[in-house]
Amino acid sequence: MTEDIIRVEGLSTRFFTEQGQVNAVDDLDFRIERGEVFGIVGESGSGKSVTARSLMDLIESPGRITDGEIWFNDAELADSVAEGNEEAVDGDFVDLLSITEQQRTALRGTSFSMIFQDPESSFNPSLTVGEQLAEAVEVQQRASANPRSTKAKTQTADYSFGNYLLSTMLPSQRFVTDESRERAIELLELVGIPDPVERADEYPHEYSGGMLQRAMIAQALAGEPDVLVADEPTTALDVTIQAQILDLLDELQEENGMTILLITHNLGVVARMCDRVGVMYAGEIVERGTLEDVFDDHVHPYTEGLLGSIPDLASAGGRLQPIGGNVPSLLDHEMGDRCHFADRCPKAMDQCLEHPPEYAAAGSDDHTVRCVLAERSYDEQDSLPTGYFDETERPAGDKHEDPDRSAGEPPEERTQPQTTIDEVGGESR
Amino acid sequence: MISDRLKSSLKREFDQSLMAKLGLSIALVIILVATFAPILATHHPGQTGHFDEEGSSYPPIGFDYQTHAWEDGDDGRERIPHTVQPTSEHVLGTNNLGQDVYSRMLFGARTSLLVGLIGTGLAAAFGVPFGLVAGYFGGRTDDSMMRVADIMLAFPSLVLAIALIGVFGRSVQYIPDPIVMAGFAEGMPEYAVLPGTVTLVVALVNWVWFARVARGEALAIRNEEYVKAARSLGASNWTVLRKHVLPNSLTPIIVLATIQVAAIILLESSLSYLGFSGTTLSWGYEISQGQDYLRTAWWISTIPGVAIVLAVISINLLGDWLRDALDPNIEGEGGV
Amino acid sequence: MSLAKFLIKRTLQGIFVVWGVVTITFGLRAIAPGDPVDLIVDPATSPEIRQQVREEMGLDQPLLIQYIEYLQGILVGDLGFSYQSRRDVTTMVIERVPATLELAIAATIVAIVIAIPLGVISATRRHEPSDYGATMFSLVGISTPNFWLGIMLILVLSVQFGLFPVSERPVGFVEAVTVLVTTGYFNDLITWFRHMTLPALTLGTYFTALITRLTRSGMVDELGKPYVTATEAKGLPSVLIRYKHVLRNTMIPIITVLGLQLGTLIGGAVITEWVFDWPGLGTRLINALYAGDWPVIQGVLIFIGIGFVVINIVVDSLYAYLNPRVVDE
Repeated sequence: MTEDIIRVEGLSTRFFTEQGQVNAVDDLDFRIERGEVFGIVGESGSGKSVTARSLMDLIESPGRITDGEIWFNDAELADSVAEGNEEAVDGDFVDLLSITEQQRTALRGTSFSMIFQDPESSFNPSLTVGEQLAEAVEVQQRASANPRSTKAKTQTADYSFGNYLLSTMLPSQRFVTDESRERAIELLELVGIPDPVERADEYPHEYSGGMLQRAMIAQALAGEPDVLVADEPTTALDVTIQAQILDLLDELQEENGMTILLITHNLGVVARMCDRVGVMYAGEIVERGTLEDVFDDHVHPYTEGLLGSIPDLASAGGRLQPIGGNVPSLLDHEMGDRCHFADRCPKAMDQCLEHPPEYAAAGSDDHTVRCVLAERSYDEQDSLPTGYFDETERPAGDKHEDPDRSAGEPPEERTQPQTTIDEVGGESR
Repeated sequence: MISDRLKSSLKREFDQSLMAKLGLSIALVIILVATFAPILATHHPGQTGHFDEEGSSYPPIGFDYQTHAWEDGDDGRERIPHTVQPTSEHVLGTNNLGQDVYSRMLFGARTSLLVGLIGTGLAAAFGVPFGLVAGYFGGRTDDSMMRVADIMLAFPSLVLAIALIGVFGRSVQYIPDPIVMAGFAEGMPEYAVLPGTVTLVVALVNWVWFARVARGEALAIRNEEYVKAARSLGASNWTVLRKHVLPNSLTPIIVLATIQVAAIILLESSLSYLGFSGTTLSWGYEISQGQDYLRTAWWISTIPGVAIVLAVISINLLGDWLRDALDPNIEGEGGV
Repeated sequence: MSLAKFLIKRTLQGIFVVWGVVTITFGLRAIAPGDPVDLIVDPATSPEIRQQVREEMGLDQPLLIQYIEYLQGILVGDLGFSYQSRRDVTTMVIERVPATLELAIAATIVAIVIAIPLGVISATRRHEPSDYGATMFSLVGISTPNFWLGIMLILVLSVQFGLFPVSERPVGFVEAVTVLVTTGYFNDLITWFRHMTLPALTLGTYFTALITRLTRSGMVDELGKPYVTATEAKGLPSVLIRYKHVLRNTMIPIITVLGLQLGTLIGGAVITEWVFDWPGLGTRLINALYAGDWPVIQGVLIFIGIGFVVINIVVDSLYAYLNPRVVDE
């Protein structure tokens, strides 16, 4: 069995807004094995993007990681952290939430890097693409020139305001060196951008969306990361380009043995890319397991519903089965202590009014599900009357319509047509 | 024009912002003070000769002052600390001519507000139609009209205002004061003074900001579907401008107008500081009066300045509130 | 469009604006009340002498001829003669330029050096005491008439504490530096500095406040954009994220506003000069206005117009440099 590279235990990320506390990610557990592609799939608003950002330590006010541990397998880091902070170390694993912010920041770009959904807004419009890539290269160069086992701060953190002021006058003080620029061009070539030398000097607005996403992948690879977090890497692209980008990711993953955490709402992408999958709903992983577990042996009605809402050529002509209702509000005071999916679930029963624990399910050892159906079968007798949730728990109609508002920011962009609601606080920053 | 959504947005922003509440409170106080100046004043603002027994201006109540020497005693005279009793009838002291500063501040508020509000109204009246026409018709019309605006911008507003006053003179208009006329305030001036030339000039200087914003809005609105629809139904340009373009460009114009009131009050105070306003009942003029007496009577210049700052801050706070609530995109602010 | 073409277009527009300024100031002189001859000779002198003066000044010509002659004069740098002192206006204006330029540059430096870091700190530490402090400062700063601020600085720093001289400019920067370089004598530069401090602070405060405000709000907007998160995810040092990435993009709208606000800077300089009796273009202008000395008024206005146009072209180039999308459009 391969070793784990990441173990997330009891992770909770909350947003503290005027409307109340939003439990974007709630008591989440999962693990990722070294070298695999782990997918998190769910509707927008399910908390998958917040999970990715929690891992990258990119949660911003009013959000905060309130609880849990993120164990990262890195012997070298464990050594350097162990002195003086033993609780944060468990064998080769280090709890990223117990180390200093400085140590955490130093992992960005070198151990973890991220690909974002919308390449056009994820590049600075006023710097050339080459320059931005070279920055990422430089971060890696400086970090490896200064191994963290020395316990010294990484050199990147030493780049001060004074250095910056000097650099405006002295080229030698610039952050980005010529070697990094050359490496940036190699990276552009690696991801299949033609004429990389010329393209490096162009600005993001001169690139097409697909090209820019390739450049972003190049940028993420610049740090030679252990873990690549890809947050909806193809959502903003045309279908043909999507396939090319997925091919590229596939290829790079095979070559480098990189671990990828793939966040998507698209089950087609999951089926194509992932080794194991977690299905996320309302801040929780409701079902996880190998690809086969989730696609063939799924237990949770939500997974069933998700699979029902993708077009299937085999049953062409049949109607797609959308899941009725909306993603629930993640406001703490509205969530209640029940199965969060119960109000949309076609098989909701009396028992679902209690929050279900994780049950082991048939299939591989990894297959678990947060649904009582793992233990028993559906019984009409126990089913909740239709309209049960309409009156009792959801009196104020439209207040659930727009959970993204509750993160205190306007929604940045709508994603796919079938996904009407943004991640809580996720894409909006 | 002001939809329910805007109203609720204004209200929400107001409830959340301490600054908006502060701004509105100060602005209301200043408006009330300016309106009821004759009732609130303790003295006729023009009446001179209120000096103490030694012939010096009264300081504000509660402040020490030296009646004689201000130097370090090398001229042989000693400092005489002197606290004016709270019973003094001059709350904020008197100025170099022995006029009651408090009463002059109240009447000065009238001048600032009148010029600020009427000047802004006139500037909008010149600038908005100009900008709407330029933006709506676009092309050559727009180009040539905006070149005119560019030339206007090449004159610093203060400098152009002074030059225009040099041409038009410094006439003032007297408006009968209903409060005094009705007999509520015996012995107060029967006419309020409006520095007419200054009002006109500040409008002539600042209309260009309105033109720029209105043009930007018109440019955007003329490409909206509903405007195209109205035109295809045979509505005349004039009708489209009046019924569609103007109402839909009001939000940023209102925000700009608020900021402009503040800018024009500052401009008016600068002009009257330089002595170009034609009336002496003005905060700016009062500051210039006190400048020669800084050593002996600091309050003559200080107090009117505080009044200006309070007035302008309150309006800027209102402007911030409107801007945050209505969120238009305005680039220029127009200043002193 | 290439950058060169862009600049040529801007320059042509600038020349048009200067022509407009010349025409408007000429028009103002034409309609200004009062007979210029009264300023030149005693109003009681005989009509013959008055007529002679009028002819000498070319004031008997039709307006159009006067206008064309005036334009011709400008092309060779001749702005005519002052009614009051009979001196050459071009000289009268140019001799006052260094004082105004020094003041404006000093104020701009004060503003930029204080405002940009203040705005950045304010935006990156939102809702902390330093942010509230900066916000209050900028609110009060943009709401304070600068002539009054100048008087208050005089009241507190000169009259009360005697730290700085009240007014005037005994020595120019260039002269002071020349003295320092040739003789090693420091005092002139110190004198210059002492006299410059209060006027520069007075003029600089409004701009410091304005730029702080613009920087803060621009930064806050910009920090919310996705590319900032992406840049953080790369692991770039925060100094670079703030200054190289975010501030650079924040400067784009700020520069536009500052270009528009240039008139305010010049207007502020005029009144600041008056407060401090500073021998620049502003005091010359106001004195000429008091006297109705139109050739001087015209001369100063035209100079200000040219300065405005030139600085705007510089601002536009800076804008194009910072924002690569402009030149492409």
